[in-house]
Amino acid sequence: MNEQVLDCRGLACPSPVLKAKEIIERNAVARLSVLVDNPAARENVSRFLARMGYAVGFLEEDGAFRITGTKDESAVACEVLEEVKNQDEVQTRIAVIIAADRMGKGDDTLGGKLLKSFIGTLKEMGPELWRLILLNGGVKLTVEDSECLGELQSLEREGISILVCGTCLTHFGLLEKKQVGETTNMLDIVTAMQTADKVVSVM
Amino acid sequence: MIGRETSDDAGVYRISKDMALVQTIDFITPVVNDPYDFGRIAAANSLSDVYAMGGRPLTAMNVVCFPVSSMDKAVLREILRGGLDAVHEAGAVLVGGHSVVDPEIKFGLSVTGVVRPDKVLANAGAKGGDALILTKPIGTGVLATAIKAGLISEPARRRAVETMATLNRKAAEIMSEYPVNGCTDVTGFGLLGHGLEMATGAKVRITLFSALVPLLPEALDAVGMGLVPAGSFSNRNFCSHRIVGAKRIDPVLLDLLSDAQTSGGLLISLPEEPAASLLQALKSGGVADAAIVGRVSTADQGIIELE
Repeated sequence: MNEQVLDCRGLACPSPVLKAKEIIERNAVARLSVLVDNPAARENVSRFLARMGYAVGFLEEDGAFRITGTKDESAVACEVLEEVKNQDEVQTRIAVIIAADRMGKGDDTLGGKLLKSFIGTLKEMGPELWRLILLNGGVKLTVEDSECLGELQSLEREGISILVCGTCLTHFGLLEKKQVGETTNMLDIVTAMQTADKVVSVM
Repeated sequence: MIGRETSDDAGVYRISKDMALVQTIDFITPVVNDPYDFGRIAAANSLSDVYAMGGRPLTAMNVVCFPVSSMDKAVLREILRGGLDAVHEAGAVLVGGHSVVDPEIKFGLSVTGVVRPDKVLANAGAKGGDALILTKPIGTGVLATAIKAGLISEPARRRAVETMATLNRKAAEIMSEYPVNGCTDVTGFGLLGHGLEMATGAKVRITLFSALVPLLPEALDAVGMGLVPAGSFSNRNFCSHRIVGAKRIDPVLLDLLSDAQTSGGLLISLPEEPAASLLQALKSGGVADAAIVGRVSTADQGIIELE
């Protein structure tokens, strides 16, 4: 097995990465250990090795860090899988727009119950659920006697941001009665729709 | 009027009812290999502090460190020629300078400008309900490293150099026609660091729309390759306890948002309605990369929220 140790202690970024790159380019190294003595170099070298298809491990010894990159077929496969998974986690953001105080048309009492159940079930989306936007009749859900208030507050506690349309609150005379979420404007709503990866609309 | 207390870009001293002096000094080590380009960039970087205060530069002096004994003086001449071109482009005059023999090259300007006292734009001016406009793309810190390492394509290199050498003059002139509440330029502390200065100075929360921040080509690649300068990591760590929502952001993008910029753009805070028309005016006036990148609210003080 072709193994090399590179001592980059005392070197500032980006030198450790460039030295590692030089070694890798000169000959196919199956296992490369890089010694660095500062956190910036540790992060940069780890990133570089991962990008080059190495499985990366750390060891802290006497105030220095030893970063070890190992390359074989299975390690490469793992690394790639891991990367894809991380990207999924950070990238998907779902915004849910609720523009009424009930779900669907037909019977309003039923529609109100459905919406309550819908909001209660939203957490099943998991970490992808990013933001709720309440518009028009949807802002009525945020006041004290709303049946959905408890569900909305519990979503907010879990870190889901709730934007409530200020123009709509004013229109219904509810500006002072809102119990959950952040009063907002159309620019925020438009940028939230643009920033989200998926927008789900409930009319 | 403005001193050392508020981390502002330049000092401002009132000399009469309708005139104040703006003074600033800045010098940097080379960020690109070409000496002429380095001269333009270092000068644009120094002049920018005057623009960020709402001022107009009048005079400039060279500040230069150079290894006279070990390096060809033609390099020095090229640096100074680049600096002079930028000073002229700014409509200012070079009136002198000072040089020191030093093993490491450094260059910049001491700039004096003027501003109307009622038009001074401080960090602390941002107000709840404002939108934030950034006038240049970010990524110059990590790309400067990529340029030194030769790990960048020629078009991306040229783009980064031209971005850094572009004066903030045009953006500042267009901005002066609008009811701007606060302004700073994005330099060594990165977009997050300077945004945080603004949020702290103005006692507001700034929300950055991370997906809408304009980025230079290949900047994300360079971060992924491990070319982040140590200063940018310090920025990220320094800001981290005042930032919410960082977990939702791709770590590579997060590093880019804290990337130390050389001669970065202006970060302008003004009410939403005129912000949309300022953005239009900037774009049609040649500041093509300008974008709305955030908003200001009074929900917290001294906090950055990432979306």
